[in-house]
Amino acid sequence: MKKRYPFIRAVMIVVYAFIFLPIFIVALMSFNASQYGTFPFVFSTKWYVRLFTGASLGGATWLSIWFSLLVTLTMVVVGVMTSLGLKRSNAKFAKVFSALLNMGVIIPWLVLGVALLMIFNFIGLGRSYLGMYLGNSICVLPYVVLLVYPALCELNDNLEFAARAMGASPLRAFFTVVLPGIFPAVAAGGLMAFMVCFNNFVIQYYLAPFGVRTLPLEIYNMVRVGYKPDINALATIMVLVSTALVYLVNKLGYGSKRSLL
Amino acid sequence: MTKSKLSTWLLMLPSTGMLALLVVAPLAVLVFASLIQGNNLALDAALSLGNYATILEKGLFFPLMGKSLAMAGSVTAACILLAYPTAYGLAKCVGEKHRNLLVVLIIIPFFTSQLLLIYSMMVLLQANGPVMSLLGLFGRNASTSILYTNFAVFLILLYEFLPYMVLCLYSSMCKIEDNQLYAAQVMGAGKARRFLDVIFPLSSPGLLSGIIIVFVPAAGSFVEANLAGGTNGMLIGSYIDTNFSVSLNIGRGCALCVLFLLVLCVITLIINAVIRGVAGRRL
Repeated sequence: MKKRYPFIRAVMIVVYAFIFLPIFIVALMSFNASQYGTFPFVFSTKWYVRLFTGASLGGATWLSIWFSLLVTLTMVVVGVMTSLGLKRSNAKFAKVFSALLNMGVIIPWLVLGVALLMIFNFIGLGRSYLGMYLGNSICVLPYVVLLVYPALCELNDNLEFAARAMGASPLRAFFTVVLPGIFPAVAAGGLMAFMVCFNNFVIQYYLAPFGVRTLPLEIYNMVRVGYKPDINALATIMVLVSTALVYLVNKLGYGSKRSLL
Repeated sequence: MTKSKLSTWLLMLPSTGMLALLVVAPLAVLVFASLIQGNNLALDAALSLGNYATILEKGLFFPLMGKSLAMAGSVTAACILLAYPTAYGLAKCVGEKHRNLLVVLIIIPFFTSQLLLIYSMMVLLQANGPVMSLLGLFGRNASTSILYTNFAVFLILLYEFLPYMVLCLYSSMCKIEDNQLYAAQVMGAGKARRFLDVIFPLSSPGLLSGIIIVFVPAAGSFVEANLAGGTNGMLIGSYIDTNFSVSLNIGRGCALCVLFLLVLCVITLIINAVIRGVAGRRL
């Protein structure tokens, strides 16, 4: 298949340019002295200085990081348990269960967020950290199961049987044989969960306690008020971080051949 | 045997509980709340279909729903047009070495915050920004902007969802064997025939999941319209949102959500049937 494909090549160039031009411009503007992101270009690093000295974005970033870590760690445990259970359950139950699990992905987050706010108001929980935690967890869980369950199914069962036959307890067999075997998928699921939670604006918009601003909420407020050049600096850093994370996921073997979806 | 049944049951307990309490129960409460007038969410509240009657009478629902569906439809169509050649190129034309890098590049925006993607598109499109300055060279007034129009919302949604479509199509095109394409070529099928009779039917599962993954969230989007849509940018998502965050009419907001979900269900079923039907006939 070593032929020239002028049309496909042209479309690919347009697509990649479309995807990376805005990111590139934002990175460029983050070094531009102009307050309004306009030309002419004058080099400056003052927005990075402001980003790290100004309080609002920094605080929101930390809140988002530790909150997403908490959601990710707990949901990876639940996700792995679910995958183990799904593999042992009968086919009919597994089918119904995964259909229900996929609903969490297919229902627009707007509707899910509103519905969760309703039920939390109804039971008196309202907008709270616990509510925000639960809402983000249910959004994240399907992604973990979607990545871990197929890996678990591909694992050779005989290894576990052998460990059990040699006298290992179920728990020991899991930690010494099964978990190392599915570790890349678990790590990829964890990274995916972290990113989904970290970036989940809509759910946090409806469920975050009043006055508490996670990073997406903070950015939303800043963008709505007007152009803020220190977001450029933040965006540049975040794109670099997500590039590093994507590279990690890819290294773990879940980037190229297997789709993330 | 019973012991292993018990352990399976225990393993499934947390997630089953979460699904029941955080997906099924909230949706039930949503339907219940849609039957309540105003904001009095209590078990003994009087139930009626009043909210639905007001919504259908007032006539804001249909135009906004139509506009959202048109927006989501055009975004999905543009995604398909751009993503098909790209996914084909990634799966079949690019060398092994470049492929990995190119796929990773497509995944990056997918991992970047939705808000930052919206924001970077707004920076690109703003008055006196890069695009308008460029257009200014061709005689357009650079201090006006296409930002705060429906077209800007379209571009932002396209930008957000294009990677999803490319990844969905790419994963199913990887499964098409080169031999099948060769065979079609040897038998004399031209480019169009090869696409219609081989590539399209075999990639239809990816196309289907791509359409659903793009269309459904695009139809329910409201952040893009709130930030970049300007005064005429309202979509059904923003209308639902205003009932909760601005005008506070919980009953009506919930009824809107229920209607919106129903419309989405019907459309998803139609898309499913159409793609399966067309692809099935081609196989």
